[in-house]
Amino acid sequence: MKSAIYLLSIAVLALGLYSYEVKQNNNRLERTVQAHYSNSLSNASEKLSNLQHSVSQSLLFQDEKALEKELDNIWRTSNEFRSSIGSLPVSQEVANEWMRYVGNIGEEAKYAADFGNYDSWHNRMTKVNQKLQTLSDEWAVATSNFYQNDPSFADWAAITGKETNETPFRNVATNLKSYSETDFPLTASESDWQKKKELQNLNDKEITKDQAIQRLEVLIPGIKDATYTVTQSRRDAAYPFYHIQFVKGSRIGYADITVKGGHLLSFLSERPVQEGNRLSQQDIRKAAEQFLARGNYKDVEIVEMRENHEAWHISFARVVGKGKEKAYVYPDGIQAKVSKDSGELLGLNAMEYVQKETINKDQKVVPVNWENFFRPGTVVEEERLVYTENETLQLRECYEVIARFDSEMNETFRVVVDAENHDVIKVESMH
Amino acid sequence: MVRTILISVILIFGTISILKPNETFAFSGQIVERGAFGDDVIELQARLQYLGFYNGKIDGIFGYGTYWALRNFQDQYGLDIDGIAGPGTKDQLVRVTEFNEDWVHQQIAQGNRFTHYGGIPLAQQTTAAGEGYSSTTTVQLPAKYSERDIQLMANAVYGEARGEPYEGQVAVAAVILNRLESPDFPNSISEIIFQPRAFTAVADGQIWLEPNERAKQAVLDAMNGWDPSENALYYFNPVTATSEWIWTRPQIKQIGEHIFCY
Repeated sequence: MKSAIYLLSIAVLALGLYSYEVKQNNNRLERTVQAHYSNSLSNASEKLSNLQHSVSQSLLFQDEKALEKELDNIWRTSNEFRSSIGSLPVSQEVANEWMRYVGNIGEEAKYAADFGNYDSWHNRMTKVNQKLQTLSDEWAVATSNFYQNDPSFADWAAITGKETNETPFRNVATNLKSYSETDFPLTASESDWQKKKELQNLNDKEITKDQAIQRLEVLIPGIKDATYTVTQSRRDAAYPFYHIQFVKGSRIGYADITVKGGHLLSFLSERPVQEGNRLSQQDIRKAAEQFLARGNYKDVEIVEMRENHEAWHISFARVVGKGKEKAYVYPDGIQAKVSKDSGELLGLNAMEYVQKETINKDQKVVPVNWENFFRPGTVVEEERLVYTENETLQLRECYEVIARFDSEMNETFRVVVDAENHDVIKVESMH
Repeated sequence: MVRTILISVILIFGTISILKPNETFAFSGQIVERGAFGDDVIELQARLQYLGFYNGKIDGIFGYGTYWALRNFQDQYGLDIDGIAGPGTKDQLVRVTEFNEDWVHQQIAQGNRFTHYGGIPLAQQTTAAGEGYSSTTTVQLPAKYSERDIQLMANAVYGEARGEPYEGQVAVAAVILNRLESPDFPNSISEIIFQPRAFTAVADGQIWLEPNERAKQAVLDAMNGWDPSENALYYFNPVTATSEWIWTRPQIKQIGEHIFCY
């Protein structure tokens, strides 16, 4: 009996020590996380205050240099604030509204600096400045609890599990939403986002489920007579489409086809690929071109091919013009995935191609003297015309240049330059 | 009689080895050009480096670095300058270079940093990977993404959707990329994935599970443009979701256990 009591006491003591150790560890972890959150919160509050001051100060100046300095500050601070907000455990709703509103201010500042739209900036920001002040005050109230002398991790933990309406951020979220709608009805970037949903503007005749399957089997004969499960997109989807899931032998996949017009949006098929066998790059290219011809995508050409372990990913772009005026319209692209072992089409993505861009034929193409444009030691190896979007998401005709440093490493860059005003739109380092 | 047979055998093998000295252990029969990936490209890069034409990493990816090196080689050896490794170019390369296939593949498998220049002992051209270093699987990605991006996203996809159909895994990866384009979310893949409360796998630690090849393939397809979510910014499991707000989002489609929404 004595031994049993002795053993039990030892066990209780060991358990107690273990629990104490676990609790200590948890406390340490909580303090670390709390310190991280408090730091992010301090950063966010400070950036918000700086942003409000910068916006306010920008309303002081007419002088271009002085104003541009403030605009640059605003753009930078808005990005920093977005980053701080992104690391706080506030609800997705609050984080999204902040990111959008402050991101819009930053984008406006950049746009004003780039295009010299100073009057428009001043007009718009007079109201935004007042609202930022209000938001800044509300933010200070909402976050005051997190700065008390003996803050508890439970405060942070509590807001992570609650709806926005039940947290101190309720007023901030409501105001942000309302201010976004009035101050930035539809920004350029949101307009681009909408563009993806523009398939809702399709006016083609509606097709049935069976017709959708027929359309799919014409494009991808390899899955003919598969077992299909067809559902329609949810009521809220911006454009109605059939979601076709199929199984045939070892192939499992899906295809989305628009209800209006039966346009293939995307298709993917998964099956085991024999890694030992592989077709040549030339055969893969031919196979991909044949697939697209069969799908009636006749105005596209291959712009890039990438081989990986099991398949090739091939990018096509729509081609407009002929001869020297030939240009690739990158936003109207199609992507194909072709298996290395047999050249079977494993995927096709034509979402962007369905809604074709409108080409502005009035834009001028002014030749560039590349020797003056680039520093000595840079060799321009390739040049072609392309259409792509600039920072304000306008479709522009551009020169796309492959340039390299004439050195041992042959560092290579893809440079996209507006064909009319010669603004640099994109620079990418190529492997 | 035995001596005659022995001499004949030696003569036959001798003649073969004199007439076809380089045909074994050199390239496959494929024509290799920009965009290619794999053992042929590893051999091409190693042989070009042997002569000093190629100074980049031997990784089996036929990018621009390999392309310019090959053109320079073709130029110097009087071949057609097309940047394509066809039969003529490959024969010439094999004639003037050596390629230690086993050694090169061993270095790649071990994740070592190495070069393959001629005239320098190979042992002096390798640095062993540090302890704890894990060599990443090399893949060819669109220029705007890095191997770090695919690794991080594969972790997220595996942690969030490993039990889902392949389509569902691509869709989860596409949601992360859609957030990257949206003004409502942070500006980098890392910030999006680690945004507090954004992904369950981050909260419960499942993001640190080792992703499988399927998850990596799913991310690769999403990076190449596929979006089975049809432009979704959110998804949730209707059985386990506790947020009321997520139910207010406009819904697009359901894949497996996840509903995707704007």
